Amino acid sequence: MDREQLINYIQDKFAGKIELLECGRVEPFFKIELDFLKEFCLAIRDDATLGMDFLCNIGAVDTGEQFQVVYSVASVKNKIRFDFKIFPDRENPEINSVIDVWPGANWYEREVWELFGINVKGHPMLKRFLLPDDWNQGNPMRKDWDAPDFVRLPEN
Amino acid sequence: MGIIKKLPVFLEKVPGGGIVTTSLDYIFSQSQASSLWYLLFGTACCAIELMATGASRYDFDRLGMIFRASPRQSDLIIAAGTITKKMAPRLKLLYDQMAEPRYVIAMGGCTVKGGPFYYDSYAVEKGIDHIVPVDVYIPGCPPRPESLMEGCLTLQKKVKRLKMQDWS
Repeated sequence: MDREQLINYIQDKFAGKIELLECGRVEPFFKIELDFLKEFCLAIRDDATLGMDFLCNIGAVDTGEQFQVVYSVASVKNKIRFDFKIFPDRENPEINSVIDVWPGANWYEREVWELFGINVKGHPMLKRFLLPDDWNQGNPMRKDWDAPDFVRLPEN
Repeated sequence: MGIIKKLPVFLEKVPGGGIVTTSLDYIFSQSQASSLWYLLFGTACCAIELMATGASRYDFDRLGMIFRASPRQSDLIIAAGTITKKMAPRLKLLYDQMAEPRYVIAMGGCTVKGGPFYYDSYAVEKGIDHIVPVDVYIPGCPPRPESLMEGCLTLQKKVKRLKMQDWS
């Protein structure tokens, strides 16, 4: 299944609920509605043609105005991969956990929770594991984060 | 260092005791400087240069420097690599476990002042002199083995100057 076929297949299957983002990459990139995430993940995993059985990564982006959570998924069996994004609320960010779909999401979601402060609903153990144990300075990967000894790179 | 530290105090009251003190000073400082055993403590890419220096091409052993895997047996920490804020308490713990006299070499830009992680980093300690006292700083990213050996020779010079009274 090449790129065009994959895009057409996914857009037909989830017509109206997802959106293709142009990002100049080989793998297609989709935008998913926040509430549609769990359903979408289950559907692409259990679909026979797609069979996305492997979650490569979950990452988060803070652009300053909005959060983005990026999921990269792959199918080992069908040799395809693509990414999709959700846009949680900036003020009170909350996403649904996908551990039920791919158990490997556990630590990725903990990382997103720890560094960005995006709450993960339905995660069994949201505990700190990257930052120091006595950390009390908030979520350092946010764009508006600051600390007493934090030196920002000067312009130019 | 209880008895040895008090030794000069008693000896200098005896006529001719100063000769004994200075000779002992010389012997002790020479032997200390010629056998600075360092702790195996490599936290990032500087450790690769440390390993290269320890291996046969540069041969650290000819300065009397052998790696030790336990802080109890070492005289020197070569802090080779980035010290993150999470690693800092561990470095402090290892330093505290070493027997005196003990020395610290800050190897590479990261340990000197944060290096490339000085800006825009929430995780890296900006200089290990916030945590432990440093004797010799070696800049570089990472320093070549020649720089490291130069730093160790500088530390040896410092150790050779020390008297028994200076031991803490």
